[in-house]
Amino acid sequence: MSMAQFRPTDTVDFIVAGIGAAGGVMAKELSTAGFSVVALEQGPWRHEKDFKHDEVSVMFRAGLTNDPKKQVNTFRKTPDEPAKQQQAVEYGCMVGGGSVHFTTNYWRFHPEDFHERSVLGPIPGADLRDWPITYDDLEPYYTKAEWDLGISGLGGSNPFDGFRSKPYPLPPMPVKSSGVLFERGAKKLGLHPFPAPLAVISQQYRGRPACVHCGYCEAFGCEVGAKSSTLAALIPAAVRTGKCEIRPNSYVRKIETGKDGRVTGAIYFDTDGREVFQRAKAVVVCANGAETPRLLLMSKSNTFPQGLGNANGNVGKYLMFDNGGLAIGLFEHPLNEYKSVVVTRVLHDYYRSDPKRGFYGGGGIDGRFDYYPAGCALAGMPPDGPQWGSEWKRDLGQYYTRLGGALAHASSLAVEQNSISLDPRVKDVWGLPAMRVTFKNHPDDLKAADFLMERQKEILLAAGAKKVWADEGTLGEVTYSRHLMGSCRMGDDPKISVVNKWNRVHDVPNLFLVDGSSLVTCARQQPTATIQALAYRLADHLQKASKRGDYC
Amino acid sequence: MLAAACWAEVLRAQNSQSDQLIWFNPADAAEIKAIAAQIIPDDNTPGATTAGVIWFIDRSLAGFDQDKRELYKRGLAETQVKRAELFPGSASIAALTNEQQIALLKAIEKSDFFQQVRLHTILGFFGQPVGTKFVGVDHQMHYEPPFGYYDAEVSK
Repeated sequence: MSMAQFRPTDTVDFIVAGIGAAGGVMAKELSTAGFSVVALEQGPWRHEKDFKHDEVSVMFRAGLTNDPKKQVNTFRKTPDEPAKQQQAVEYGCMVGGGSVHFTTNYWRFHPEDFHERSVLGPIPGADLRDWPITYDDLEPYYTKAEWDLGISGLGGSNPFDGFRSKPYPLPPMPVKSSGVLFERGAKKLGLHPFPAPLAVISQQYRGRPACVHCGYCEAFGCEVGAKSSTLAALIPAAVRTGKCEIRPNSYVRKIETGKDGRVTGAIYFDTDGREVFQRAKAVVVCANGAETPRLLLMSKSNTFPQGLGNANGNVGKYLMFDNGGLAIGLFEHPLNEYKSVVVTRVLHDYYRSDPKRGFYGGGGIDGRFDYYPAGCALAGMPPDGPQWGSEWKRDLGQYYTRLGGALAHASSLAVEQNSISLDPRVKDVWGLPAMRVTFKNHPDDLKAADFLMERQKEILLAAGAKKVWADEGTLGEVTYSRHLMGSCRMGDDPKISVVNKWNRVHDVPNLFLVDGSSLVTCARQQPTATIQALAYRLADHLQKASKRGDYC
Repeated sequence: MLAAACWAEVLRAQNSQSDQLIWFNPADAAEIKAIAAQIIPDDNTPGATTAGVIWFIDRSLAGFDQDKRELYKRGLAETQVKRAELFPGSASIAALTNEQQIALLKAIEKSDFFQQVRLHTILGFFGQPVGTKFVGVDHQMHYEPPFGYYDAEVSK
């Protein structure tokens, strides 16, 4: 069936604004259930044939991500500093969003992540809160996501995981040398490494071919469709329903509301820069943890002078960033980490917050070497050695295939002043207020990352590394993030949250948000599984509510 | 995509008789080429010169990195001042001896200018097969396990 086409004057059932990890789930689930859907995506609609093994364009020229020259943002650490133009957020900018280019770690949150506040009490300088839902509420949707998208892994192999109602649909990916070494080192230390759950299919699955181990996985789009992005796994099914129209290159600038306080549709710039108003009965915003709050703040009206959902000033606040450093180890023999997926072994032994350590938080650690050749030349070599010239060149030539490593995925606390707001001076290329990012780590974030770095080095040394070092660029205060979480968080109390436990904006009955912005805590990074589980849960809720006649 | 387009131009320039610089004048190009040649020397394996990195930098500044032109202009001028200070009577960076070039670059290696030339040189070199081959990457679209020594060891 060819793709549905709607006119702007047609009042469709749903607009999905941003069709990435969550928006792809919403588009597929809602259209399959029979709703009419228009999905508006600011980026282009790329396909497998458009992806390339080109490190320069992808990693250094914003090939698949927001372009800081167009999607301008400003940055400051604290509200008393002037904000300077400096890229602070990175997100997938295309149909499929970040699910197209992510590294594919697919961790469920642990049951305790949903009620850490009750377990640990308040944390000074932060606003740690319980979620209004539990792991058990989300478990069926984690399972649904894993089976719908195609996740490879070994259920039950992580002793720290919560209950799971089904195994993974696909066996784990073949272990790489980095995984063998990581497991060897971790087991010597009495730890519990397990096969990485990954959004890559290890075998043919639902008409998609298995991974060919080409090695261009992290940050790249998959050229065979084996990465379980929404682009490869879900969006084709959404299109086939004949109920879903995907409009790429469509940049939403405002969610429109009527005098009754209900959403009436969205205004966007189309491919040719023309302004279009699409009518809809309800809107689901899935524009990521940075663009979603910005869009709500730009959607001011007489009824909502502070922007949508912002009556209590919570939109944009409690932003959480990607935390955790990379330890690199040099081994005697070639690992050839340039082949296949990035990660094959993970451990969660240091995940849970332990008050005996003297700080909140912890992290998961995975075995990986995180650099393509140019990236390694720029930042991956030992910091105590030369960084250019003949000796450096000789070492780089000998080291590259022999480098392994371990990356930490560490806690990031919700702090009120860490936020997305509208820059009062700077504009983006569409003439809209630039995103202003305010972020400074809570001191416990840095303590957790430092604590983990020592553990990462121990693991690599126990694995037999001849030399280990910290990639210094990945430690210290975080000023740049690919994980954008917590800026419109979920809660029962409208005074301290933006959406309710069904991802509905508290004071707008037909506006829903689902993406990283809903997260109350970021657990230990790796938010994609939880974002997608929330989307499946919201889609299910909307279907059930619709049958009762009250979805919005 | 931009870099890929850029490389197509570089290859055209390398293969044609009319290999015109677009952004640099020939004198400045010779200086930047000399700096790039110290960053990734052509020794017993190919380096920045063999890889034609100067063409990548020229096309970058003519195209997607226009906002770096000023840094190059100012940085090169400052480096010339430093050269004259360290090696009075010298004519150019390119004309310095190998040891003098290394000493000059060590004196400026923390500067934004040097870091930018280093970035461009690395991208120009590793953005093409000569660079990836140099670090031992045998580039294929499809690999099968075992991938490396240690996973081969356990799969025996």
